[in-house]
Amino acid sequence: MSDGHTPGLFSRRRFLAGSALVVGGAATAPLLGACDASSSGSGESSGTTTLTVMYASNELTKEHIADFETKNPGIKITLIENDDTRLNAMLASGNPPDLVRGAAVGSANNNARGLATSLDPYLEKSSVLKKDDLLPVNDSWRWDGKKIGAGPYYGITKDWSQDATLWYNQALFAQAKVAPLSTTEPVTYDQLLEIARKLTVQKDGKTVVYGLGIEWQWGLYGPLAAMVMSQGGSLYSEDLTQTDVTTPQAKRALKWLVDLAQSGAAPSSLNPLADGADLSTFMAKRMAITQDGYWYGGNFIEAAADLKDNIRMAPAPVMGDKRVSPCYAGQGAWIPAKAKNKDAAWKLMEYFMGGPPAEERAKSGWGMPALKSLLPLMPQELPYQQEAFRTAQAELAYNVPLPDSPYVTIANWITTLNQYIDQAARKKITLDVAAQKITEDINKLLKQGKDRIG
Amino acid sequence: MADVVAEQVRGTAPAGRLHPGRAVPRPRRRWSRYSGRTFYLFVSPWVLGFLLLTVVPLGYAFAMSLTNFDGSSSLWRWVGLRNYRELLQDSAAWSSLVRTLVYTAIVVPLSVAIALGLAVLLNRRLRAVGLFRTVFFLPSVVPVVATAIMWKLVFNRDAGLLNAILERLGVGAVTWLVDPTAFYALIILTLWGLGGGMVIMLAALQGVPVELEEAAVVDGAGRWRVFWHVTVPMISPVIFFQIVTGVIMSFQVLVQPLLLAETNSIGAVTNVPSSTHLYMVQVYQEYFANQRFGYGSAMLWVFFLIILIITVLVQRSSRFWVYYEVDRDERD
Repeated sequence: MSDGHTPGLFSRRRFLAGSALVVGGAATAPLLGACDASSSGSGESSGTTTLTVMYASNELTKEHIADFETKNPGIKITLIENDDTRLNAMLASGNPPDLVRGAAVGSANNNARGLATSLDPYLEKSSVLKKDDLLPVNDSWRWDGKKIGAGPYYGITKDWSQDATLWYNQALFAQAKVAPLSTTEPVTYDQLLEIARKLTVQKDGKTVVYGLGIEWQWGLYGPLAAMVMSQGGSLYSEDLTQTDVTTPQAKRALKWLVDLAQSGAAPSSLNPLADGADLSTFMAKRMAITQDGYWYGGNFIEAAADLKDNIRMAPAPVMGDKRVSPCYAGQGAWIPAKAKNKDAAWKLMEYFMGGPPAEERAKSGWGMPALKSLLPLMPQELPYQQEAFRTAQAELAYNVPLPDSPYVTIANWITTLNQYIDQAARKKITLDVAAQKITEDINKLLKQGKDRIG
Repeated sequence: MADVVAEQVRGTAPAGRLHPGRAVPRPRRRWSRYSGRTFYLFVSPWVLGFLLLTVVPLGYAFAMSLTNFDGSSSLWRWVGLRNYRELLQDSAAWSSLVRTLVYTAIVVPLSVAIALGLAVLLNRRLRAVGLFRTVFFLPSVVPVVATAIMWKLVFNRDAGLLNAILERLGVGAVTWLVDPTAFYALIILTLWGLGGGMVIMLAALQGVPVELEEAAVVDGAGRWRVFWHVTVPMISPVIFFQIVTGVIMSFQVLVQPLLLAETNSIGAVTNVPSSTHLYMVQVYQEYFANQRFGYGSAMLWVFFLIILIITVLVQRSSRFWVYYEVDRDERD
């Protein structure tokens, strides 16, 4: 590039050195700025607190935000749509949102890593959200440093369901000449599979009606854990650092899942639904039973009259002697430990979990409220709502938290289960090998998690 | 004299040498000072972008690859080369790499060949050629999410268009989006968007001098020989460009397998079938499902080096088959 007369004018060395200087300067400025994270993002200015909230905009709506801001003139909300990747980046940069959407089940991982704020000091002072009004589903947010269910609360659930309970369409039962499920007594999982087989209609290699849907594409951790608990088994060791799915209870549960996939009676990894969820198939009267929990009832409010007339809710099936009816998620909110506006975030928490939006949700049938005081608001106008209310109330007695280790995430479980259950369902590996592989992989992840968290 | 003028412009000729005997006023500021600044000014946007958005993240990712950082908490420490050692023994990562190589080996030649074939067809004087060009180009401007959803519906076993056609042909229903057929579905989805490559090929074809082709015809060459011995060599730099960028893009495919998976916002990366679990999906899984940012970064660095080596090999191979209209010495 040099012409020989102006040595070094555009020489590579000068060019690279000059560029490095420019970039060095440019890169240092934001890094130095990052040292004082409070200088950007959410914060207070001229008496107004700007609250950064990461939530789903169809749950925390514009109307809710406007109402909250009217009632709290000093607080403005900036809503960021729920996005795990962005949350990761915000947490890593030390500039997290002030309030974040999250599930109770699986929160141990965040809580053990010190990412969330203890809500106990707020709960003790609050006149809206009180500890003795919180339903047990909120216990999954608790973490005492060793296990869930004890210690401070690190989040509050918005609404929840006993997710192993079943919704079914009586008309499809009648069509297949199968007796409808009891709305009070649970069937066994083996009976459920048999019923699902009878209800399934196939033609030319295509499934016209699925007997059952267990939301396979949402993950198999909840169903597996519920089946193991129903047999009195446990997925984790006492200190939550090891798992064993080669136990007779876990292998029985795995076998049921493999059998279900192979039967073709339900969508599975062998035959996934195009939209990744049971809803459209169930609403199209192409699925007889769906294992979805009380919240699903919200979908039927505007359904066709004949569907509404035929919808019923049944208790969670059992695999052993013990009735369990756990919640698989329990969506709610938590306040990051490094949030800048925790007091204002708590005000929003009170408003959203215990104020008008919570009452609206409870009345709508989109999930059960997480507060005891709101339970009577659940809808009971239509026959299916009255039955579902009774079934859901009865299931409260069997609600138990899903096991949750801080050293792995629910996503770890789902990935691993999907991989090996799929291979077993395709008969590429035996059930014993699948159980062994799942145990090994999850134990490896548990070890890595333990190594990180300590 | 011209040399002297040039030197004067560059500011390297001694003052007064242009017109001996007459005092030439010394330029107030030397052009070299302006030209240096101008050079830096013009290249700075790209250089800044490259360094800030490529070099700095690369360095940051390398530093992260030496840690057990989980992506969000402060509970991390240096682990040296442990992540790299683990990667050497990670069968899942190597399997996904092999799958990616196979995918690339199929997709790149197919996409280049089909794009070239379409470009040749559309380089003729046809009625409504503009319409055809638009139609073939259109899929490449449709957002990948919309394309994937459309294809998921087409591939659906129970209600999909493809199975409906196969049914008419007497073929039974195929469950496309699971192993092993999901791999073919991914290839079809990728090839669907090759309109961009087709347009580049078309531009290259239109740049081939007609005289050369006419001369070959006068010399007795048939259409195939003209195409193979005149047209292809003339557009070989563009084919080379398509191959290099195609290889890099195929290696980095991530979104399409995620979108084609039997998944939704809850399942995310957890439901991608084995056959479409490509290397970047594995990396994504390590980052966001397993919270192993350190290990994921090590995987990315190794991948970067692999892509670099393959790109260099493709580059080296170009001297045997890519024809430039200028001498190699001139280009260098």
